[in-house]
Amino acid sequence: MKSSRIRDTRYLLPDNLTKKHFSDTLKSSFIVKQTDSSSEKISILESFDWGLYKKNLLAVRYENQSISLWDADNLFDSELAQKIDDIDASSRFWWDFPDCEAKETLTPILNLRSLSNIFKGILKTEQLNLQGDDGKILVFCQLISIYKPEQPRTPLMRQIKITPVTGYTKENDQVIALLKELGAFEASLPPLDSLLGAIGIAAQPYTVKPEIDIPAQMPARSAVSSIIAVMIKKQRLTEDGVIKDIDTEFLHHYRVAIRMVRAAIAQLKVVFPEHDVPVLKQRFGDLARKTNKLRDLDVFILDKERYMNLLPQSMRNDLTPMFDDFQSSRQAEAKRISRWIASKTYHNEMGDLQALFNNGYSAMETLWSEKPSIDLAINKIQKTYKKIYKAATEISHTTPDEAIHKIRIDCKKLRYLLYFFASQFDKKKIKVVAKHLKKLQDKLGIFNDLTVQGDFLKNYLYQLEHKPKKDIMLIASVGGLISNLYTMQIQERDKCINELAVFSNNENRQLFKETFIDSSKIQNSVINQEVKVQGKVQ
Amino acid sequence: MKIIASYSIKGGVGKTAASVNLAYASAKAGNETLLIDLDPQGASSFYFRIGVSKKEKKGLFFTKKNRLLSQIKGSNYKRLDILPANLSFRNFDIMLNNMSKSKKRLKELLSSLKNEYDLIILDCPPNINLLSENIFNAADMVLVPVIPTTLSERTYEQLLTFFDNNGYKRKKIRPFFSMAQSTNKLHRQTISHMEKRHPEFMKSIISFSVEIERMGIHREPVLAYASKKSCVHSYRTLFNEIIKIVAVKK
Repeated sequence: MKSSRIRDTRYLLPDNLTKKHFSDTLKSSFIVKQTDSSSEKISILESFDWGLYKKNLLAVRYENQSISLWDADNLFDSELAQKIDDIDASSRFWWDFPDCEAKETLTPILNLRSLSNIFKGILKTEQLNLQGDDGKILVFCQLISIYKPEQPRTPLMRQIKITPVTGYTKENDQVIALLKELGAFEASLPPLDSLLGAIGIAAQPYTVKPEIDIPAQMPARSAVSSIIAVMIKKQRLTEDGVIKDIDTEFLHHYRVAIRMVRAAIAQLKVVFPEHDVPVLKQRFGDLARKTNKLRDLDVFILDKERYMNLLPQSMRNDLTPMFDDFQSSRQAEAKRISRWIASKTYHNEMGDLQALFNNGYSAMETLWSEKPSIDLAINKIQKTYKKIYKAATEISHTTPDEAIHKIRIDCKKLRYLLYFFASQFDKKKIKVVAKHLKKLQDKLGIFNDLTVQGDFLKNYLYQLEHKPKKDIMLIASVGGLISNLYTMQIQERDKCINELAVFSNNENRQLFKETFIDSSKIQNSVINQEVKVQGKVQ
Repeated sequence: MKIIASYSIKGGVGKTAASVNLAYASAKAGNETLLIDLDPQGASSFYFRIGVSKKEKKGLFFTKKNRLLSQIKGSNYKRLDILPANLSFRNFDIMLNNMSKSKKRLKELLSSLKNEYDLIILDCPPNINLLSENIFNAADMVLVPVIPTTLSERTYEQLLTFFDNNGYKRKKIRPFFSMAQSTNKLHRQTISHMEKRHPEFMKSIISFSVEIERMGIHREPVLAYASKKSCVHSYRTLFNEIIKIVAVKK
């Protein structure tokens, strides 16, 4: 992203200041030359997770269907914009854009996310250069105004950006003094926040990770209830995107959030009365299972190119009917899910579930429900790690695939436990543990995906059996694909076994032991020991 | 920060026109750019409407960073600053002779500006002396305008020999054809002959053009007032070629 030395200062003009008074004041000391002026209907674009905002970028779509992308420090400087020209109104994903610098910037940020309008309005920019008598520019000024389309006379924001010219500090100070006289005040927020604030939008960067702070001494049941409540909230935030089918990430995160809720219920079940657990599992399980098919189709369709490349060039097109079938199944499935999530039944069910956890799950006490949450966290994390460790040490090249899948599931459980209770342990150590775990999970994930994909294709072949007209080449190419996936699966299996050996080595074992401890207890015991030693001396 | 010297042993070959327009193209592309007018005639400074500095006492240029910074002036274009010509620059050689490490003084001084600029362009005076050697040491690229004539070819080869004999890296030198006339048979022949002999020639060719000649009247880079003319556009393609070679990091 282009960025110049940041020397600009930004001032907000008071509402009651007229344009005439403003320019007359500048004209009292300088020759004001307007070099550039534009007033255009615009939309501000952002992804649901505020990916651009997080990278300090702003994307603006103009009415003429071009997009300008700015680094926040250079907002509305036309020379520093990365531009995408000639796009149509439906372009929302990076792959909809023609190859250009802006596309390169957007690709890793958006990934599978779509861009949506978060604001529609009118953007007016005027370049006012303040010159001396000899035509030399002494200070660059840019007046930026934003209006709502229905109120084109009352700006939501009027900001003046001052870019000093090297060697003309005095003149720069003079402009600032004039602005202050007019009642302008320096913008104190970073440029993007200042802009969003003025147009009345609050940035809400979304992540499906829990990011919660659970006090170590909080009773275990309250802790688990808050974790579940937070995750249900995250699940519900994605609902609108699933209903409107904005991008596939909404459903993905919807499912991840439910998976975490289910993990919390299953892993930390000791805080709930025994007979409540299967009911809760069932209710959340039903939500997740409903969306399985749509997610499978999404994953397959997103990976279309990769699948095509697994076949010889001459056979690639033979797969097209399969993807067409997937695409139409997906349309039907997405509609079904959209209707379901928009339905009253669903809404009521979610309301009930939310109510269960929002103010702490109320039920009979259990053996664990009132114990400090950190004790529960240590117990569960250590147990899950030991389980993985034991399985890893027993693994060999003859171990059945199911055993590897089971380890994968345990790793996921462990990962979620780390998410839930991260705030209770040493941050640096948790980071190292999470890094090791992620590496292992990535390998296991690839292995699992290949198995799932192979099964999915086999099911598709069975379905083809019932079709009246059989397309031999399609069947052959699907067969080819299945066998290719299987070869890859065998290779990945070996990688998993190697990675498991690393994960369960002595060093990592020690790391787990050291990381998941109650540091306050250790401190107390050190103090107690010191007291004892002192007692003896006395 | 990268440093590009627009240099030739011969005068009147289009060095200043190249410096001014490349500096302009660089700033427009988003680079913080400084054009240093090392030529005592001060043509670069003239094109950007910046007066030649008279106040500065001789000798200070190479010694004091702050003194140097205070001489830099912003142009009428964003991100483009100029260090105007100083009449005392003509005494550089005498002054440098009396200094230790005298061939690397310019390099040291410019490296102190690395946080301020992405690209520095040096508009150099036409000769080979101690200042030129400072320039060869400091620059990441020595950009040499060559008019496609037999005489220019000889001068260019003299420069290559000088580099070889004095231990400078020959690959720093990147020539380009300047003031070329497509209707002139001799020019065409020289171009094709020299491109074969010297593959280091840049692909972009700057043609002779009345528009470029008029820069003195407009007192602006030709890219600023006639950017759509093809002869003028070549400066932009030349700039793009340059940044690919020296990899300017913003």
